[in-house]
Amino acid sequence: MMEITFTFPLANGLHARPASLLQEVCQRFAAAIRFHNGRNRRRADARSVLELVASGTAAGDPCCLEISGPDEKAAGQALRAFLLRVLPHADDNLPPPVSASGQKVWLPPLFQNGAVRILPGRALAPGIGSARAVRLQKARILPRRFAAGKRDVKKELQLFREGCRELESDLRKKAASLQDPNAAGIMRAHLGIISDPGFRNRIIELIAKKQKPAGVAIGETVAHFARSLRRSQSVYLRERVDDLQDLATQLGEKLYGRSAARPWRPSSKSGVVMAAALTPSELLTLDRRRLRGLVLGGVGLTSHTAILARSFHIPAVSLPQQALEKIKSAEELIVDGQRGLVCVKPDPALKRYYRLEEMKLRLRSRQLARLKNEAARSADGRKLAIAANIGSTAELGPAWKNGAEGIGLFRSETLFLERATPPGEDEQFAVYSEAARSGKGRPVIIRTLDIGGDKRLPYLPLPQEENPFLGYRAVRFYAEQPELIKCQLRAILRAARHGSLKIMVPMVTVLEEVRLVRRLLDAAAAELRERKISHAERMEVGIMVETPAAAFFLDQLGREADFFSIGSNDLLQYFLAADRGNARLGDLYEPLHPAFLRLLFQVADQARKAKRWLGMCGEMAGDPAFLPLLLGLGLDELSMASGQIPGVKTRLRQLKSDECRQLLQRAMQCANSQEVSEMLRDFNNRFLDADVIAPELIRLDTPSRTPDEAIKELCDLLELGGRVEDAHALEEVVWRREQVYATDLGFGFAIPHGKAATVRASSIAFLRPRRPFQWLGKNMAPVRGVLLIAVPATAKGEEHLKLIARLSRRLMHEDFREALLSARDTDSVLTVLRQCLRGS
Amino acid sequence: MRIIAVTACPTGIAHTYMAAEQLEKTARQLGHQIKVETQGAMGIENELSVEDIRAAELAIFAADIAVQKRERFDNLKVIEVGVQEAIKNPAALFSRLAK
Repeated sequence: MMEITFTFPLANGLHARPASLLQEVCQRFAAAIRFHNGRNRRRADARSVLELVASGTAAGDPCCLEISGPDEKAAGQALRAFLLRVLPHADDNLPPPVSASGQKVWLPPLFQNGAVRILPGRALAPGIGSARAVRLQKARILPRRFAAGKRDVKKELQLFREGCRELESDLRKKAASLQDPNAAGIMRAHLGIISDPGFRNRIIELIAKKQKPAGVAIGETVAHFARSLRRSQSVYLRERVDDLQDLATQLGEKLYGRSAARPWRPSSKSGVVMAAALTPSELLTLDRRRLRGLVLGGVGLTSHTAILARSFHIPAVSLPQQALEKIKSAEELIVDGQRGLVCVKPDPALKRYYRLEEMKLRLRSRQLARLKNEAARSADGRKLAIAANIGSTAELGPAWKNGAEGIGLFRSETLFLERATPPGEDEQFAVYSEAARSGKGRPVIIRTLDIGGDKRLPYLPLPQEENPFLGYRAVRFYAEQPELIKCQLRAILRAARHGSLKIMVPMVTVLEEVRLVRRLLDAAAAELRERKISHAERMEVGIMVETPAAAFFLDQLGREADFFSIGSNDLLQYFLAADRGNARLGDLYEPLHPAFLRLLFQVADQARKAKRWLGMCGEMAGDPAFLPLLLGLGLDELSMASGQIPGVKTRLRQLKSDECRQLLQRAMQCANSQEVSEMLRDFNNRFLDADVIAPELIRLDTPSRTPDEAIKELCDLLELGGRVEDAHALEEVVWRREQVYATDLGFGFAIPHGKAATVRASSIAFLRPRRPFQWLGKNMAPVRGVLLIAVPATAKGEEHLKLIARLSRRLMHEDFREALLSARDTDSVLTVLRQCLRGS
Repeated sequence: MRIIAVTACPTGIAHTYMAAEQLEKTARQLGHQIKVETQGAMGIENELSVEDIRAAELAIFAADIAVQKRERFDNLKVIEVGVQEAIKNPAALFSRLAK
C-alpha cells in the first residue's frame, strides 16, 4: 500500500467538480483508492464522487489517499500529478459570486416611503428584472407514494437500472447541447452522481437485501447523503443537497413517468419565476427568452442554480421563506440582483429609479464589451498586453471571450497526465494547432513538459526523491528523454504553421539547458524535413524565470532565449524558501515582501538591458491590486486566469506608468510587506485622473424629477466615468449628508456632495433637469441645476479640493449660476466650469 | 466695521467655502472690512492672525461643527449662526450686526 498526503487547496472545499475530476483519475486504475480526511476522520471511496463530497472536506484540511493494488505505483504517480497540477486550478473559472456579505443594505429615501413593499434578501445573480410574478408548480417528492412491502427484487432492480440508463443518456445530451461551459459542467457533475458507485451500490443494496421498492431506495439513499452534506462545514457543500434532490426527482420521473411538476412555459408574456426551491434542471426547463428574473427561497450563492442564473444573465434574488410566501401570483415585481431585494408593486417613481439602474448596467456592459476589443493600455498610453493562462483547449473560448490578447501560458503537461502512455505527435499536433488557429494571429506560448519528482508519469521512469521541488524535474530531465521532448517539439513546429506559437522552457537555471532545447528543436525540425512534413522554419524559444539563479542571469540566458516570463509562484517559493502549501509558514509566502519586489525589479532591469520581452504568468499577475507595481516594473505582458482579464484591463486604463514606477521605488524601500501593502492600498484609493470634470460627467435635459433620481443619475455618471467604484455606496454617503441638512442653496441650485472610500478621483458631475423640480425643502425655488461633488475619503490638502472650493465660491455668484443654467450644450457647460476651475 | 469670520461645515468640501464667499461678498457691498478663515477639508486656510483679531470689532462664526482654536476669540463679541444662514440670508445676518 502507498499513501499520498496533501493539504486540500480549494476555497470552496471538495465539491462536485473537483470530486469528479479526482474520480476520473482513479477510474483509470485497478487499485483500491481510499480518501481520508485527517481533520474530521471521514473516509471515502475515491471513485465515489458522492462519498468524496460527503467527506465535508474544506480548504486547508489535511488529507490522505491510500492506494493498494497491482498498479498502485502508476496510480500514485498519476494522483500526485493530479494533486499538484490539476486540483489547485479546478475552480479557476468559477463565476465570481456577487456581494456575499448579506449585510443590511442602505436604501435611498424613495424606497422608504411606505408605498412600495421592499423585501430584502440576498443577491444571487446580478441585473434588474421586472415582470409579473409566476409561481412555479413543484414536483412532489416521489418516493412517498410507494408504501414499503414485499416486492419483486429482480423487477425493481431492472426498473432502477433502466431509469439510470435513460437519465444518463438525457444528461449526456444536455451536456453536449449546452453552449455555456458552466451549464455543461453542472450536467457532467450530475452525470457523475448518477454513475457514482457509492450512490448506486447503496440503492441496489437497499433493493436487493431489504426488498425496498426502487423509488424508496432512491429516496433513502438521497436522504443518507443529504444528511452528511448538511453536516458539512462548507456552505458550498450544503448547497449540493439541491443537486441530489434534483437527480432523485428526475430519476423518479424516469422510473414512474412524469411527476406533478409543470414546467413554466408561458404562451406570450414574460415573467419573474418564484419558487421555494429551484433545481438546476428545473431552471433549464424554463423558457429563458421570457424569464425576466428569479425569486427563490433558500437558495445559496454557490448553488448550481445560482451559478446557472449568473451564466445566463438572469437577475436572481433569494428571500427568506416567509417573505417569499407574501408575494402573490401576478403581482408586479422588480428583482434587484444588484442590491439583493425584491420590490412588490413598484410605484412610478421607483420604476423610474430602476430604469436609470438598468440604463447604467446596459452602458456598463457595453463599456466592458468595448474594453474587450481594445488593446490594454495605461492612462498614459503604455501598452501592457493582457493574456490568459490555460491548461486545455476547452479554456480557449473563455479566454478570447474575456478579451485575452494572447495565451501567455499553455500548461502542456495536462496533456501528459493521467494516462498510461504519452500522447503521440499527431494527438499533440491536433491540440496545439487548435490553439494556434483559435488565436487568429494572437501569440500562444506553449510551455514544454513541466513534470518530474513531485508529478510523475507512469511512462516516465523518474526516481523517487527526498525533495522533489528541488529535484529532477522539468528541463532537467530533457537530456535523458530526448524522444519524448522531440515528439512534443515536432508537434509544436507543425502546429506553428497555423498561427503564432512560441515555446517556453520551464525551470531553467543554466545556459546549457536552453542550448539543449535549441538542439532538440533543430533535431525535431530536421526529422520533419526528412519526413517532408511542413512545419514552421523559425520558432521563438523563451524561458520561465522561476529560479533565483535565472533571475540573476538574464544577460547570459538572453544570448539563447528570445523572451522571458516570470513564473511568480515558483520564483517566490524558491526565493523566500517558503512552501506555499505549508499553513504553518503563515504570511511568509508573500509576494509583497520588499525583497521580492527588488528581485522583480532586478529581473525587469536585466531583461531591458538584454533587449528581451518580459512577461509574468504567476498568480501575482492576475490581481488588480498588484497592478500598479507590475506596471511600474515595465513588463510587456501579464498572463492570468481568463475571468481576471476584464478587471485588470479596466484598472490598467486608470494607471499612469511614471507614478507606478515611483510607487515601486518607494515600495522596494519599505521594511516589510505590511508597509508595502498599506502604501499600495493608499495608492489604489488615490485620485488617478487629472481632471475634476469631463464631458461624460455632464447630462442636460434629463427626465429626472426627484432628488432620488437626480442623485442616482449623477452617481451613475461618476461610476460609468470610472471615478467611483460603486455608485450605490456614493449614493448612500451623499444622502446621509443631505439628511444633515438639504444642500439646496435656494437659488434654483442644489449641490449634493460626499466624501467616500468608494470615490477613486475627486470629481464633479452636473445635471440639468428637463423640468425644474422641488428639492427636499418645502418653500424653496425649484432646482434647475444639480451639481454633485465626490471626494475620496483619504483626500487631504490636495489640489483638487482647492478647485472644488473655488467652484463652491463661484456658485455664490449669480452670473456664474446663470451661465451654467443657460449654457446651450454640454461643451458650453464644460467651458464655463473649466474657466471657473482655472480661476479666470 | 472691521469684521472677522470663521466658516466650517460637516464635510468641509463645499458649504465652508460658499459661506466664506457669501460673507465676503455681502460685507463688501455693505462697505464693511472683512477677513474670513475657512476650516474645511484642507484644514485652516486664510488663518486669522493675532493682529486681525485684535483689530476686529466683531466676529461671525458660520459653522455647523465646533470652531477650532476658539480661545483666540475669547475677548471678542461673537455672533454664531449655521452655515446655511450665511449662505441663504447674508443680508439679514449683517443687519443683526448693526444692532
